Amino acid sequence: MGVREARKEATRLRVLDAARQLFEEVGYEAATIREIARRAGVSVGSVFTGFPSKSHVLGEVIRCRLDELYADLERVTPHLRGSTADRCRSLFAVHYAFEFRRLRLFLAHISVAFEFREAPGYPVLGSNPRLRGMVLECLAAGVARGDVRPETDLELAVDLLVAAYAWNYRLAAAEGADVQDLTQLFDRQVGVIFEGLAPPG
Amino acid sequence: MNQFVYGGLAAIEPAERPNQRALAKRRTREKIIAAAKALFAERGYEGATIRDIAKAAGMSTGAVFASFTDKSDLFIDIAETEQAELYAEMRAAKEGLTGRPAILAMLDAAAERQLASLALVQAIMSALWTPGLGEKVRRRLDRRTAASLILGAVQDDLSQEEGGRCATLISDMIWDAYIATLRRAALDGLTLEPLRARIHEQTRTILAGLRRG
Repeated sequence: MGVREARKEATRLRVLDAARQLFEEVGYEAATIREIARRAGVSVGSVFTGFPSKSHVLGEVIRCRLDELYADLERVTPHLRGSTADRCRSLFAVHYAFEFRRLRLFLAHISVAFEFREAPGYPVLGSNPRLRGMVLECLAAGVARGDVRPETDLELAVDLLVAAYAWNYRLAAAEGADVQDLTQLFDRQVGVIFEGLAPPG
Repeated sequence: MNQFVYGGLAAIEPAERPNQRALAKRRTREKIIAAAKALFAERGYEGATIRDIAKAAGMSTGAVFASFTDKSDLFIDIAETEQAELYAEMRAAKEGLTGRPAILAMLDAAAERQLASLALVQAIMSALWTPGLGEKVRRRLDRRTAASLILGAVQDDLSQEEGGRCATLISDMIWDAYIATLRRAALDGLTLEPLRARIHEQTRTILAGLRRG
């Protein structure tokens, strides 16, 4: 990497770091590009060079955190035991535990993800390819193991699980549900979905 | 009739004026709402301003504020109407049906309606998740309206006592899966038929689980 690229990259990382902290402190809505720039020690112009808008900054902050999340998951995956349903429960439990550490940020992400028109290219909620890939793998292994019906449309099953997982967050937003509430609810939902996916007899 | 002639006009005129005023007020409100719906759909809640809405409606911002307290008031009014209309269409769709056929008919009606006004639906959904605005919207909107229709149809199929607790879980999942699929449809550019097929398949899976359990 040339000196110029290295400097650009360093700026970008400082901006992301400052943004993440500010979003956590005051929330996404109240955060301003000006304040982010100030904390990162760069000009507002530099921020906009790297990111078309505040929502893109959020998108990138969220995306970078995923590396941490997937490190958590990779530690857990080799040790998954039990039925396919239980393994799925574990995968998503790790997600809930992770996102709840920075809940406000994640809720802001959900809100912005809906306004995808405003932020084209913004990471789409529920279509995170790595999450989907992991769940898909889990389900495929389930077919091999015999607790998921062979002719199941796996993509559709993944959609159902990811939708249930994501939508439970509204309870955190609306009713102040905590990580245990959501995990317990999700466990029941997994039960229902897997009953529907179970082989006959 | 004569006894009304003297006091008649005087008696009629004041009554007439408030009616005309009320009519004019309602028409103004409708114009504002129509302009606001288009702008919220195009730019989302944040992006649409009262100034732009007023301009599109052909009036001053003052006139808009005479009818609505603020932007959120106007937005929530629109959201309430959308919800009420959705509810009415879903209820009409389930006419004469119970259980699964009722659920699928209602989801079909919802999909057809919401696919046609997707941008506005997106704006409303996004607002629900926004802190501050989200609380206001939720306070005035009865979120459970569409889900409660689904709940009723799910309960048709249940006879056990266990069903009571389970029914809410199931109906929430059906409605949530529908919304998630609607959103994906927007992104993937799905048309009505494939959208309906996906919704039917998901609903069948969820209900199959119920049947076994």
